[in-house]
Parts: sequence; structure tokens; C-alpha cells
Amino acid sequence: MCVRKPFAVVAILLAVVMQWAGPSAPRAQAPEQKTTVIIDILGTPGKKINIAVPEFAVVSGTDSAGAAKLLASVTGSDLTFSGLFSVVAGTGAIPPNNPAMLAQSWQEFAAAGAHAGLHGLLAVRSDRLEGEMRLYDLTTPQHRLIATKKFETPIAQPRRLAHKIADEVVLQFTGEPGIADTKLAYVTGPRGAKEIVMADYDGIGPAPVTRNGSINLMPVWSPDARSLAYTSYKQGYPDLYRAFPFERRPEQTLAAFVGINSSPAFSPDGKSLALTLSKDGNPEIYVLTLATGTMRRLTRNAGIDTEPTWEPSGRQLAFVSDRNGAPNVYVMDAEGTSVRQLTSGGFHTQPRWSPKGDSLVYTARQGVHDLWIVNVDGSNPRKLTDSAGDSQGATWAPNGRHLAFQSNRNGRWQIFAMLADGSAPELITRGPGDSTSPSWSPRLP
Amino acid sequence: MLTRCSHLALTSLLVAAAVLSGCAKRPATMQAAAPAPTGAASTTAATPPAPAPMQSAPPSTTPAPQATARPVVQDFAAIAELADVFFDFDKYDIRPTDAKTLDANANWLKSNPNHLLLIEGHCDERGTNEYNLALGERRAKSTMNYLVSQGVQANRITIISYGEERPLCTEHNEACWSKNRRAHFLVKPR
Repeated sequence: MCVRKPFAVVAILLAVVMQWAGPSAPRAQAPEQKTTVIIDILGTPGKKINIAVPEFAVVSGTDSAGAAKLLASVTGSDLTFSGLFSVVAGTGAIPPNNPAMLAQSWQEFAAAGAHAGLHGLLAVRSDRLEGEMRLYDLTTPQHRLIATKKFETPIAQPRRLAHKIADEVVLQFTGEPGIADTKLAYVTGPRGAKEIVMADYDGIGPAPVTRNGSINLMPVWSPDARSLAYTSYKQGYPDLYRAFPFERRPEQTLAAFVGINSSPAFSPDGKSLALTLSKDGNPEIYVLTLATGTMRRLTRNAGIDTEPTWEPSGRQLAFVSDRNGAPNVYVMDAEGTSVRQLTSGGFHTQPRWSPKGDSLVYTARQGVHDLWIVNVDGSNPRKLTDSAGDSQGATWAPNGRHLAFQSNRNGRWQIFAMLADGSAPELITRGPGDSTSPSWSPRLP
Repeated sequence: MLTRCSHLALTSLLVAAAVLSGCAKRPATMQAAAPAPTGAASTTAATPPAPAPMQSAPPSTTPAPQATARPVVQDFAAIAELADVFFDFDKYDIRPTDAKTLDANANWLKSNPNHLLLIEGHCDERGTNEYNLALGERRAKSTMNYLVSQGVQANRITIISYGEERPLCTEHNEACWSKNRRAHFLVKPR
């Protein structure tokens, strides 16, 4: 990823850090810091890049829907959510093809503390929106152009255009795209009638995935972000299905054995699915090869074995077992051997392996439920939530920097998101009723 | 944990007995790629991403649909003669008072041999969904095992766990939770 990073980006970040570090920062060390500067910024909460995001300039077509304003607002929200940026409030759009005006605007933004400027251009076509982002380094006197990129979406999806642009800005500054162009699937509705919906990552635009009037539970995205596995009682028993919410394609029945069919977890390569079946008398973990329907049993234990979660390499799985008493998190290799206990003293459930592979988040019950995180070697378990009501069911954003989860801290179940260190919790779902069991999609194709 | 372990051992014995007597009759078949039944809501198109090559669907290599293998849940109905039994928090063993209820239920079932039984296992809202699904199944199973030990034929009994998904009572307090930690009985004529 580093090869994508223009030198100008390193320079701007360096400048920003120098500014934060104050006059005491020894300038002589600056060159060696180049490779670590970005990490410093990302690893230090509260240190942010100030970015100006003025209204987009309409270069073609008629923007009767007000997309230019919306694009700036949504891009700004996305960048704020990332935790990396602070958006500097701006005025109107900077007109295109007017270098003098652009220079003057950037000068004013720089004077107001902006380190970077996003000049957005919008072309409104009959059926689609074309957006162009031009990213500038405002810490250099000549306002160096860092990157330009064009995106387009169907005309009805201005928010998605903004998400793509925001993700590109994050890519330019961090070497990894942002996570704004993703979806959250979750469960809504009163008990006894639960349906799965999906919304943008920021909770906007919830749309139904299931509409069968039954109980639908625990959706999980596939790695290609095109399908969701979930448990449903629509045929009477808790069976496992796969829905394709973006396609006119029928659902698949993945497992309909006697007993519980649940807890799906797609392998990182998308070719197989770990799941829980209780057909043998108690919940055991299996791996289903999707292309052949072959089922391979991984656990053999009289206790409950459930909630498998893959290590990103696909070589190991973590899972929950109460084989030694209270449920705790265990790890085994993909063949079901080399089992080791990761957490102890549970009641620990809902493990989810981080996308970077270095840690797992899980739910611990001590009176109320809280989210905890632990290193893969079992060291340094730490609490992420503050026992304000229950917080449980965490799901990682694809970049591993955010977690979404369900909490009843406001009196009913809602979906929240926070940074992976537990800071900056933010309400995501605002609809009525309960929202539970979030699953954060990979980046959309 | 000692009590749980010894109980588990007992449960295993009973399960083994149940299996021998034909309990696990519902065949464990699967449908890896059976098309969804007509009317299943799976075709909602919501802000589709740009089209890309479709991942190939898993081929239908598995046995024919087996919907008839399990009794239809909707055919069962609750009757006043069969009372619920209740469980302690995070437990699935039969309490002495509930054993009396189950004795009465067993007698009714033995007197009405032409009825099939569905046992639902339920949990309160505390705990996490997946674990509660497993706990609800344990409650249904230990209830079934008790009835079998009282002479009810295991092959008349089907169990289902609803986890925490179908509470009787929706307030957030122990009075309500204790009503929800239950095994519930429904019957249908053979």
C-alpha cells in the first residue's frame, strides 16, 4: 500500500505532526520520522488532520436535488467518523477552472487551521452522478495537489458517491481506503417477529433483507459483500439460509438439520462456512464447503461449542465453549485440532477476530454485558465499554478501526459504533423499536 | 460445576436411551442449494452496488428437500392440560416443583398416546442470542428426557429452541424473566 502513498502526503502529515509537537520537537529527527509519522497520527486519538470540505461545484447539468451540498455534508461526516479528520467549516462552492479563486479559498482555509482541502466537482447526468475529488495540501505555500480521482454512481445514490470520495481521501492519507462505502446488516422488530435489514454504515437508508414475518436472526456478511447468512424460523425450525440482497436471486437453504442451525461465519476466502449444528445432541462446530455441500465436523464435546469466528488467514478459528464450566473463548486450527483456551473466568461469548488478526473482541457478562478485547495470545484483556447498560454483539469494520455493537444504554436496543479502543461511541440506528445483531459488511464491490 | 457435570452424564444416558428408542428419527439431511420456497422474501433490491460477476451458486448436489422429515411446527397447539415448567437463571435442570408438573404432563401424554408433543425451550432476554439458543435447547432436551424417564415414548417428542426470541413477558425485571425461562408444550394428533 505504501507505494500508493504520494510523497506529498508524507510531507503534509509530517508538517502536521511538527505543528502538534510544538517548538520543542527537534527538527533534525524529521527525516527518520517519515515512515512512522502516519502511524503516530493514527495511533494517537485526538490528533486529527483538519480538512476543508466546501460544497461541491456543479460543472455540468442541473443539480435540482441539491446533491452538491449533500456530497460535502456526507463526505464531511464520513471523514469525521473515521476519527482521523476534523472538518473545517466552509462557505459556498469554489468554482471550477478558476485558479485564483481556488488559491484564495485555500489561503483562507489554511489561515483557519486547515491542513488539507477537498475540492469536489459534480456533473449531473440524466441517469448518474459523476464526482471528482481534488485533494490539496494546504500546508504548502503553493497548495500542492495531492491526488485527483473520479467516481460515478446512479443518480439516486449521491450518498454512495460521497462515501466513495471519503474512502479515497482516507486512502490518500493512510494507505488504506476508508470504510464509508459499507453496509450494516442488523435485526429489527419486536420479539417474536424479527426481520433483517441493511443500511449504510452510518445507519441511513435501512432497507429490508428479509420480509417473511418469522423470526430472523444473526445476519453475517460474506467476504464479497454480496450475500448474508442468517438463521430463520420461516420453515418452523431454526435453519440457516443465505440471502443475496443486491440481486434478484432466490435464497439458499444452507443447513436444515434437526436441532439448531446457526452461527454462520464465512471463511476469509468465501469458499466455506463455519456454523453450529446441534444435530448430534449438543451444539458443535462444523465447516460447510459451499461448492459441494460437504460438512466437516470440528468439535466433539458434550458441552456447548458455538460462535465460530475465523482468523483472517483462515488457518484458525476462535469459538465459544462451556466445556470447562462457564463459557469462554477458545481457539483451534481449521482442522479442529490444537485447541487452546483463550479467555478464562467467563461468562464470555460472541468472539469476533479482528480484520488485522491481532486481537479478538468478545462479550463478557458481569452483571451487565460489556465488550472486551484481548490479544490473540490471550494477553492484555481490556474492557471497551463502560457498563452503561448492556453492550454486546460487536462486529468489526473492515479496516479494524471501528466496532459496531448493540446496546440498551438508552432504554431499548440500538446499534452504536465506536473506535476499536472504545472511544467515541456514536448512535447509528435511529428508527423505532429494537435494533440488534449488527454485521458490518466488507467494502462493497 | 459438579452438579452440571453429573447432570450432563445423566442427560447423556437419557439421550442415548432416547436415541435407542428411536428419538432421533427426524433424518439429518441438508439442502445446500435448494431454491427458496415461493414467497420467500429474498429479492429485495436495495441500492445495489455496481454489477460484478456473480459468484457461482453452490450446485445442488444434496438430497431432495426434506420438509416433511420434521413435523410442521404450526400444526401443534397448546392445551390447558399441559402446564409449562420453569428454570433458574442460566440453568436447565428440572426443579423439584416442576418435576411434579412434568409427572402430570407425562400422565396426560401416556393417557393420550395418539398425540405428538412439541417441547419449546425458552430463555429470558439476558445473555447473548446464540448462547441462549443453545440454552433453550438444553431446557427442551432435559424436559424431554424427564418425560421419557417417566415412560413417554421418545419418538412422540420433538424439541425446538427459541432462545430469547419469544418471551411471554416483556418487562425487564426478574418477575418477568422467571416467566420466560420455560419449557412450553404443544400437541397435535398423530
